[in-house]
Amino acid sequence: MLSNWNTWSSIVALIALMIIAPVVAIFYSAFLGDTSLWPHLFSTVLPRYTYNTIVLMFGVGCLSLVFGVTTAWIVTRYNFPFKLILEWALLLPAAVPAYIIAYTYTDIFEYAGPVQGMLRDLFGWKTSQDYWFPEVRSMGGAILVMSSVLYPYIYLLTRASFLTVPVSFYQTSSIYGRNTFYYVALPLARPGIIAGLALVLMETISDFGTVDYFALETLTLGVFNVWMGMNSLSGASQISSVLFIFIVVLLTVEYLARRRQRFHEKSSGQDTVQSEEISNFKKIVCLIVCLIPILLGFIIPTFVLLNFVLSGFSIINFTEILEIAFSSIAIAAVSALVVMIISLLMIVVANYKSNSIQRILIFLASCGYAFPGTILAVGIVVFVGWLNDLIYFHLSYFVGGFIILIFAYTTRFLAVGNGAINSGILRIHPNLFDASRIMGISFFQSIRKVILPLVYANLLAGGILVFVDILKELPITLLLRPFNFETLATYVYQYASDELLEESSFAALIIIIVGLGPVIFLSNTIKNITNKKQS
Amino acid sequence: MLCANNILAKEINIYSHRQPFLINPFLEAFTNETGIKTNVVYSKTGLAERLQAEGENSPADVILTVDIARLYVYKDKDLLASIESKKLEKNIPQHLRSPDNTWFGLSKRSRVIVVSKDSNALESIKRIEDLSDPQWKGKICSRPGSHVYNRALMASIIAANGEAKAEEWANGLVSNLARRPQGNDRAQVKAIYEGQCEIGIINNYYFGKLKFSDDPKQREWTKNLKLIFPNQEEGDRGSHVNISGGGVVKFSKNKKEAIALLEFLTNKKAQNLYGEINFEYPVNPEISPTKELSSWGTFREDNLQIIKIAELAPLAQKIIDRVGW
Repeated sequence: MLSNWNTWSSIVALIALMIIAPVVAIFYSAFLGDTSLWPHLFSTVLPRYTYNTIVLMFGVGCLSLVFGVTTAWIVTRYNFPFKLILEWALLLPAAVPAYIIAYTYTDIFEYAGPVQGMLRDLFGWKTSQDYWFPEVRSMGGAILVMSSVLYPYIYLLTRASFLTVPVSFYQTSSIYGRNTFYYVALPLARPGIIAGLALVLMETISDFGTVDYFALETLTLGVFNVWMGMNSLSGASQISSVLFIFIVVLLTVEYLARRRQRFHEKSSGQDTVQSEEISNFKKIVCLIVCLIPILLGFIIPTFVLLNFVLSGFSIINFTEILEIAFSSIAIAAVSALVVMIISLLMIVVANYKSNSIQRILIFLASCGYAFPGTILAVGIVVFVGWLNDLIYFHLSYFVGGFIILIFAYTTRFLAVGNGAINSGILRIHPNLFDASRIMGISFFQSIRKVILPLVYANLLAGGILVFVDILKELPITLLLRPFNFETLATYVYQYASDELLEESSFAALIIIIVGLGPVIFLSNTIKNITNKKQS
Repeated sequence: MLCANNILAKEINIYSHRQPFLINPFLEAFTNETGIKTNVVYSKTGLAERLQAEGENSPADVILTVDIARLYVYKDKDLLASIESKKLEKNIPQHLRSPDNTWFGLSKRSRVIVVSKDSNALESIKRIEDLSDPQWKGKICSRPGSHVYNRALMASIIAANGEAKAEEWANGLVSNLARRPQGNDRAQVKAIYEGQCEIGIINNYYFGKLKFSDDPKQREWTKNLKLIFPNQEEGDRGSHVNISGGGVVKFSKNKKEAIALLEFLTNKKAQNLYGEINFEYPVNPEISPTKELSSWGTFREDNLQIIKIAELAPLAQKIIDRVGW
């Protein structure tokens, strides 16, 4: 009987196993293949790749935390001008792909760009020898541009946590004269912050576009050099296995942080925090702090793209791009739905009914997020090949192609869905679910009636992050798509990879615009939910 | 009455490493001429692995790619059919196609040195080997060595001078670099224009793309630029060239049509298109380069069996890793 608990946990474990399979396929080729490259890699490039990866992760992690947590706190806690706009505007950079922001920043800040040009005019400098200007294609540049588009993960999940902290907690800390932020808000929001940070760091590890454009030799770039340069997929997989160590460490830290921080809201319906009135000076400070990341992650890159669209108006094929936009949205929406359904099932099972093996499988099912997309795509290709030899699917290439693509997105972005739902479900006391089961309500009905209403905001947040992520996704789509199928991202890439930014600018802008709608909707929904709680 | 030989399939499927906007004009011309429709998947990486995993079930008929090393990967994984075509044998010189008729060069590109007009390098640099001379310290810009074009260049130098000499050269080059290797070939031209360096290494077609760019700024970059085709002196080996190319997939169900596409790409019309669209040189010896290409100067190419470049690529990458290019 399907509603039986054990059946459900077994099904979920099976799905988790399917999702891990492509990663297993990568390892399979890593260790059964040619291992003669190891000594060369170890003595030449591997230390450099590892060092650069760690520095990049550390930098992006710190800066994203600063951007994400401070802004989340400010907009939750204080009243200041334009706050209602900033609340959702802070999410806008999430719609900007990192590979696009890298192009636009180089365009502005390089020698021939407007900023240096203006400085030269202003001070009468003639050549690059006359003055010092920070190199945008550098580690510092990469940290800045990546943080300014990745911090929304932290902002979103942290803010959701801040909003749901019962107001009595804040009042208690005020009575005792303690700092509300350090003693109440921050510790209580830790699962959300860490979940966001883990996503940011995994995105950082797997990024290819930015590090390639800035020529930063990270492990991910190394994977490509070995694969393409030495014609050795097994060498590339071996470097990926170094990456895998990073990923497991990250996932474990996240898991432990959650466990220690597990707490439950026993009485729902408590009032949540109200914003505070502050002095005019503080209002201005708040405004500036919130504007900086929006400026860096959204306004500047969008402005540059708009500029390209205007200057390249005659060479842009608008109708073609709009058709492509439609198919991009369709595939992203369907895939996001699939990802969230699987995430929900998985997290419910992992939290309420699973043995340790099942929990480990579910835990590992998130790791696809941190692999370089192309390597994961190759793992999927290999796995689907095996599967097809085993059971021959009588699907047309067209239908089969889409199924593979959706499966690939699931392996890639499940971590985002799991992270979002997990941070919500940890607040629900297990008794609630058990009670529902004891009353003889089926697994599905229990999810629908008990879990769904309580994690609705998290489900939506996760779904929209996944949707936007898929819209931006490049390497997997590029490799696994059916014939003649373009998405906005692949369309942008064919030009941008050749530095033909004008041709690609309109499609890039559409990616951002399409991402905006859901992001704004999401912000409003979260607010409405908290408002309802209060009334 | 229908004659069986003339019934061609309506469609063929292509796995392409070349961007759609570059190959679409060729495919349109092909469809117009033969009535065969073409479907394309474009990706820079992983298509060989996809093809391999799909095995006999693969829908692909033709692969199109740039760089000999990528073609060689397909051959190495045994993914290409050995085909017989008198036309291809006639249109493509022997050193630019595989001995077993699995892959075929379709166009050529030369890796050239560009220097700013006022640089004294214009007179002194004659060979690619000259770039390691300490007198150019802080004067050279380059994209990362791991890029396929530089790796192929490195392989050609190993083929000519041996591994030890080649590594010595690479070390010298790296110590002459004006900045950390970065950007693509376009970015090197820009850096010269901006005065960050005087000398760059680029594929010849980038010069054309910039010279005729829609962006007036980019057209400006090439005004003070001169091309040097290296290794041209009497007795020297000639300038290093690479190819774009293709092959028919081993398990293709439409081999005849696939061959028709490759043949089409080596005929007069398509060979001229390579020059007109992307400033590449024809492989077909009977077709001369476009007027514009000829105006940049004629050159003698290194007639090394191009497969050597692919065979030496892993060694080239190792040297690149060691010297940190």
